[in-house]
Order: sequence, then C-alpha cells, then structure tokens
Amino acid sequence: MKKIILYLEWGSILGLICCGLWVFLKLPIETSQGFPQKIMYLHVPSVITTYLAFFVVFVYSIAYLWKRELMFDQIAKASAEVGLVFCALVLITGAIWGRTTWGTYWVWDARLTTTLLLFLIFMGYFLLRMSVNDRDKEARLASVLGIIGFLDIPIIHKSVEWWRTLHQPSTLFKVDSGEAKPSMPPELLYPLLASTLVMLAFYLYLLLLRYQTEKRTDRLNQLLAETQV
Amino acid sequence: MKTRTKFVIGGAVILAVIIALSVQGLQEMTVFFYTPQEVLASPSKFEDKTIRIGALVQKGSVEWNAKAIQLSFNITEDGNEFIPVLYDGVKPDLFREGQGVVVEGKMKGPRFEANQLLVKHSEEYTVETEHKKNKEDYYKSIQAQ
Repeated sequence: MKKIILYLEWGSILGLICCGLWVFLKLPIETSQGFPQKIMYLHVPSVITTYLAFFVVFVYSIAYLWKRELMFDQIAKASAEVGLVFCALVLITGAIWGRTTWGTYWVWDARLTTTLLLFLIFMGYFLLRMSVNDRDKEARLASVLGIIGFLDIPIIHKSVEWWRTLHQPSTLFKVDSGEAKPSMPPELLYPLLASTLVMLAFYLYLLLLRYQTEKRTDRLNQLLAETQV
Repeated sequence: MKTRTKFVIGGAVILAVIIALSVQGLQEMTVFFYTPQEVLASPSKFEDKTIRIGALVQKGSVEWNAKAIQLSFNITEDGNEFIPVLYDGVKPDLFREGQGVVVEGKMKGPRFEANQLLVKHSEEYTVETEHKKNKEDYYKSIQAQ
C-alpha cells in the first residue's frame, strides 16, 4: 500500500508537469477561442475526476448500508473529501474560462446551478458528519446523503441537453448517430485524455492517502474509548 | 449541547440556501433565454421586462461605434425574423458575425436594449492547419488587432 501511494504520488506529479509543458509549449492554438482554450486541460479532467469521486461515494455508501463495514464508510468519506476539492476546482476554472469566453464569471444557467448544488450538497455532507457523535450513526446518515448527492451528477451531465443553457454541449462525450465522436481534432484531444488520466492518478493518490488517515483516526478513537472505560 | 445547536443552525441555513437556489435556479434554468421567435410572437408579454434572448448574430448587421462605445446588431435564428439589439459596452473578444450570443435587457418598442452581452461558444474545437498554428503567429495576430 505504502509503495503504491508513493508511485502514484510521483507518477501524478511528473504527469502533471509533463501535461502542463505539453499543453503550453507544444499544442497548437485553437482557432476560435485562442489561448484561453488551454484552461480546458484543467477544467475537463477536474470534471471527470469529480464525477468519478462522487460515483465512488455512491458505490461505497450503498456498500456500507448493505454490509455495515466501517471500511466502506471510510472510503466513501475520503472520496467525498477529494471530490469536493475537485468540484471547487471545476467551479473556479469554469468561472475563469467563462470570464474570458462568455464575458461573465457566473450565470444561473442549468449547468452552473446544478454544479453549485453538487458542491453545496457535499458541503452539507461534511457538516452532517461533524454534527453526529456516534460513529455508526454518522456513517449511516452520511451514506444516505452520499447516495442522494450523487444523483445530481446525471442531472449536471444532461443539463445542457435538457435545458437552454449558456454552457455549450459536451465535446468529449459527443455522440453522433450512436457513435462516440468527440468534436475536436486529435492534436487537441490526446493531451486532454492524457491530462484526464494524470488527474485520475492524482485523485487515486489523494484517495488512498485520505483513506489511510481515516482508518488510523477511527482506530485511535477506538483505542482511546477503550482506555477510558 | 452548545456545539450541537450551532450545527443545527448552520445546517438549517445551508439547507435554506440550497432550497432557495434550487427554486430560483429551476425557474430560471428552464428558460435561461428566449428565442427571437418567442419574443416576436407575443411582444406584449415581454414589453419592459428584463429578459434574456439567445440567438445568432446576423451577418452584415454589426455596427460598432467606438466613440460612443456602442454596439448594434441583429439577432436571428433563421435569418428571416430578427430583433435589432443595442448594447452599451465594449465588444467581447469572441464576438463576431454568425456567433451565438445571449443578450440580457429590455424590449423598447421594436428594439432590444441590452445591458449584458454574453457570447456562447461552440462545443466544436478546431485548429487551423497552416497559419496561427504556433504561438508566435498567434501573439502577432493579437498585437496586430
């Protein structure tokens, strides 16, 4: 475990540096947006990582409610924490990108509103965790909120198709007559896929690190409770 | 007990904000903007109300008055039905003919007076093959503007 974390740490740090150099030094300039398009290489990988992080919360929350294994709750908690950071990154990079292309940091369109909602739900998730003293009760309640919170993600993803929004439809997950057809040339697409992979490795690193801390915190609290008795 | 009350109050505030945002968001999100056809079909409904209209900038309709910092153009979806727009403000970087825009403001008679001009961008990304391909050319093209 320790070795895997170390590999992921150095792998993702090197990967982030390489992707940054690739994006800024080697990539051609996008025709209509110009230089600001490069923020896409931070924004889109963060979006995908946020989706995945909260999907992990969803899966392990169900697993906890089913098996009542504390380990599952520790993983869900760790993933929600990392997911919240990436969600904040999505909102911040999106606002900066929006300012340069749309001409505004923020509008209340469906895509942006539902993304902010996701952020607030998982802020509430941690508030809920902090307000409960009993560890098992905390895990039970948080699992329910974790499952409900995840349900916002399909809405976020489909919002650009369901409603009229300022945000453009999906580029990466574009489907044309049943076939996946990302609407960007390969020289812009491959670096995006590479940055996404690196970001996912970085997520996995943070997840494992947080999970280990959670595990030790719970063990410590358990030992303290035993010695006090 | 005291910390508990704090958390309950904090939780209630966040919950209230979430509900308020969703209600406000849901109302606005279903119609973030109207189309020119919808506005032209029932002008009395939209008269003197702050609304957003989303459409394309009609080709050949853009007039930029640099002295008055005023931009006027027509917005349209099909090229036949259009609304003339007057916007007091700077021309956004990505503003060009044929581009999707969302304008916020009020209908004043037949004309739309916008106080906000947002530029939509396409989900299509392209790279020009010959020129503008490297950074030096791109920076030169910015400086030339």
